[in-house]
Amino acid sequence: MEGAGVGERWRPPRGRHRLPPEVVARSQRNRLLEAAVRVVAAKGYGAMTVGDLTREAGVSRTTFYELFEDKEACFLAAYDNAVEALVRRVVAAYESAAAWPERAAAGLAALLDALAAEPALARLSLVDIGNAGPVAQRRYRAAIQRLTPLFEEGRDYAPGGRGLPANTSRMAIGGVTGLISDELLAGRAEQLPGLLSDVLFATLVPYIGPDAAAREVDRLKR
Amino acid sequence: MAGSETRRQLILEAMVRVVGRKGYKETSVADVIEEANVSRTTFYKHFDDKHECFLAAYDLVVERVLGAVIANCDGEQPWLERMRVGLTTVVELFALDPELARTAIVEVAAAGADARQRHWNAVTRLSEFLEAGRELSGDRELPENLDLMAAGAVSGLIFDELLTGRAERLPELLPDLLFAMLVPYVGPGAATAEMRRAAAG
Repeated sequence: MEGAGVGERWRPPRGRHRLPPEVVARSQRNRLLEAAVRVVAAKGYGAMTVGDLTREAGVSRTTFYELFEDKEACFLAAYDNAVEALVRRVVAAYESAAAWPERAAAGLAALLDALAAEPALARLSLVDIGNAGPVAQRRYRAAIQRLTPLFEEGRDYAPGGRGLPANTSRMAIGGVTGLISDELLAGRAEQLPGLLSDVLFATLVPYIGPDAAAREVDRLKR
Repeated sequence: MAGSETRRQLILEAMVRVVGRKGYKETSVADVIEEANVSRTTFYKHFDDKHECFLAAYDLVVERVLGAVIANCDGEQPWLERMRVGLTTVVELFALDPELARTAIVEVAAAGADARQRHWNAVTRLSEFLEAGRELSGDRELPENLDLMAAGAVSGLIFDELLTGRAERLPELLPDLLFAMLVPYVGPGAATAEMRRAAAG
C-alpha cells in the first residue's frame, strides 16, 4: 500500500484514533502532493490518473475528492508547494549576503543546488510544466517573477542603472532560465551547480556589461 | 482535386491555425480536418495521429521563421544592423500572425518532450546568428554560451507577451528585445543606444 519514498514519513494510525480530523487531512494532502510530483516525473502529466495518485499516496478515492476537485487541482497544488519551498531557499541564501553581486551569487548557487538535488522536480518545474496546460504555465511565469528582487537590486548597483529598460530583471531571468533549461533538456540536471559562473554572468551582464560582469564572476569565484 | 502533397500542406497549415486558436490540448483531429477541408481518411494517410502531425507542422513553422530571417539578413550588413533586422523580422512575423506565434512559442510546450526539444533547437539555431557578435568583445574571456543567454532573455520576454495574448503589441517591445539580445555582447551603454535608435526608427 505504501508508495516508494513515503514509507519513512509519519502517517496517522489506521482505524479509529483520536487525531483531530484536520491533522489527518493535512497529512493526506501532503502525501498526495508528494505523490503528484513523483507520478508526473515517472510517467508525465498527461498519463497520470487520479488512481495513480491515490495508490502512490495510500489514500482512498473519496479522500482524494474531498481534498481536490481533480488531478489538475492536485498537480497545481503540488507545483505551488514545490516552487514555494524552492523560492524560500533561494531567498534565504540571497539575504544571507550583504552586497548585490554576492547576494545574487548566493541565491543562484542555492537555486542550482536545489535543482540538482531533485532532477525530476527540476525538469518538472522548468521544462515539463507546459504539459499541464496554460494555467500551469501562468503559475510557472508567476513563480519565476517572484525571484525578481534578486535581480532588480542590480539597478541600484549599476552605475547607469536608472536608465536601463524596465524589463531588465526579466531579461536577466530569461538568460538564467535559458541556460538552466538547456542543461535540463540535455539531461544534465546533476551538473547544474557547475553552471554557476555562467548564470551569474547572465544575471550581471544586463546591468553592468560583459567586462565588469566577467571581472565580478572572477572575483567571486575566488 | 488537390494533389497528395498539397493536401498534406493544407493539413499542416490547419494544425498551426487551430492549435494557435484553441490550444494544443483542446485541438482534435476533427478540428484539423474541418479547418483543412480534407477527409479523416486523408489525414490518417499522412499522419499516425495528432501528435505526429503537430511535429511536422512545427517543423514547417520553424523553417518559415528561419527562412524569413535568413532572407532578410544577407550577411553584408554590419553585425548590429543584421541583428536588428533579424529580430524585427521575427517580431513582425509574429505580430502579423498571432496564431502562428502562439503555436510556435506557447503551445509547443504542451505538445510533449519531443516538441519542446524542437522548440529549443530552433531557438539555438536562431541564436547562432549572434555568435559573430563575439568579435565586438575583443579578446576578453567571456562565457561560451552568450548566445543562449541572449536567446533565453529574448524568448522569455516574447513568451510572456504571447501567453497573455498580446502578439499584436510585440513590435512595441522591439527596443527592449533588442537591448536584451545585444547586452551580453556590447554592454548596457551600447545596447541602450541601439534601443533608442530602434525606438526612433
